[in-house]
Amino acid sequence: MFITFALITLLGALAMLLQKNVIVAGLCMVATFFGVAGLFVLLGNPVAAALQIIVYTGAIMVLVLFVIMMLNSHEEEKAESPRPIQRWVSLALVAALAVGSVKLVLASPGVKALNLQGAALPQATTLQKVGAALFADHLLGFEVAGLLLLAAMIGAVALTKRNL
Amino acid sequence: MDKLASLLHLTPALLWMALKVIIVFAGVMSLAAIFTWVERRGSAMIQDRIGPNRAALFGKIRIIGLAQILADGIKMFFKEDLAPTDANRNLFWLAPFLAFVPALMGFAIIPFGRSFVSGGQTYHLSVLDPGNGMGMLYPLAIGGMAVYGVLVAAWSSNNKWSILGGMRASAAMVSYEIGMSLAVVSIFMTTGGYDPAEIITAQGHLPWTWNIVRQPLGFIVFFTCMFAETNRLPFDFAEGESEIVAGFNTEFGSMKYSLLALAEYSHMMTASALIATLYFGGWQVPFVKDPTVLMSVACFLMKLVFFAWVFVWIRWTVPRFRYDQLMKLGWKRMLPLSMVNLVVHAWFMSQSH
Repeated sequence: MFITFALITLLGALAMLLQKNVIVAGLCMVATFFGVAGLFVLLGNPVAAALQIIVYTGAIMVLVLFVIMMLNSHEEEKAESPRPIQRWVSLALVAALAVGSVKLVLASPGVKALNLQGAALPQATTLQKVGAALFADHLLGFEVAGLLLLAAMIGAVALTKRNL
Repeated sequence: MDKLASLLHLTPALLWMALKVIIVFAGVMSLAAIFTWVERRGSAMIQDRIGPNRAALFGKIRIIGLAQILADGIKMFFKEDLAPTDANRNLFWLAPFLAFVPALMGFAIIPFGRSFVSGGQTYHLSVLDPGNGMGMLYPLAIGGMAVYGVLVAAWSSNNKWSILGGMRASAAMVSYEIGMSLAVVSIFMTTGGYDPAEIITAQGHLPWTWNIVRQPLGFIVFFTCMFAETNRLPFDFAEGESEIVAGFNTEFGSMKYSLLALAEYSHMMTASALIATLYFGGWQVPFVKDPTVLMSVACFLMKLVFFAWVFVWIRWTVPRFRYDQLMKLGWKRMLPLSMVNLVVHAWFMSQSH
């Protein structure tokens, strides 16, 4: 199961990068999100999986595709004249990022939990647990995020609406 | 059950899983097919016409025109499968499936009858067993996926009317999702759980303890949003025939069109099932405390068919909204209403503690 979802995620991401057509690339990204949601379910966190699909595929990607279709560019974009140095710099950066993230993941305590078997396995996360964690342990962060989103929303309305 | 399982070299749990999948998907699909006919007969009834009543099996057996479904199916199969010249072939081919699969998948979470115990094992009558951790978030997530079918169908057919229809539909669906989710959240709050099984048991068997009586405001919001989510009239902006030809499915013919139409009706079934589960006690039989399994399934089916009929009924009674009216209704009426609903119930809960 893990291999299936990992493959969906990776192939989706790869196809998104290689695809020249913007809409198809967006749909490949949707496939990637689904793979990630499947991985969340395997990790015993169905709430995160559901939220991943509701927020990312159900709202954000729809809006992105919506904007692309508004611009209605059926033509595939021509690549700008490639500069070899950009390619090398980006490769080096990606390699550094990959090494760093792999090190971080392997050092985290969550990795040891993957070896647990049977009764020692932690219970699946439920919405109740997520809510309790948000409002008991991370209240400040939650409120700050809420305020930030509200500010962004008001800013967007103020920018687009000419006569308030 | 145990005997059949041992005959097929399966465990009873596995056999029950396979059976459930077949029952649910075959059931929803055939109900959707029947409702394509109910819609035509219903519209005829409302407009004082007769409607399709001629199709007959072997030229003899006319079951009030029910054979029309078969005739339509055969006709659709033998039509030529056309694609416009500049269409994106792959996406054009994929779009009907993208529309159809989420419409069927949403039903998986809904308990269509009470669970029963046989041979020391509990059998649940829903494809996803209760306590799976996704609960009612699952239909919300899958419902969000339905937009892609319309969007991809619209964009891939390379037609101005199609794109207009797809854009309108996706904008409407995304905006109504917020009000709908908030209405569902207030049910989570008063129930204290988000699993459909919990929501149904919390409602009890007496009709005045169902959520429709407890949260009438939430019901109005949810019910309205369901029309926008399924793209049915009075909110069918995906295919406003009088404005944009047929919207996102203008270029689709033969089985592709048939799949898109079936997707719409399957969506209607899932929406009616959601309404019945959330606000009308799901499989609970009114005034019967411990119904038998068959009785609960029959009662659930009756509720489902009734709400599906309400969808048809409203389609042929209420005229289409204008697009700006739809947006105004969604953002300026439904969203504040569902927020008021949420805050009022939160206040009541805090008072009773």
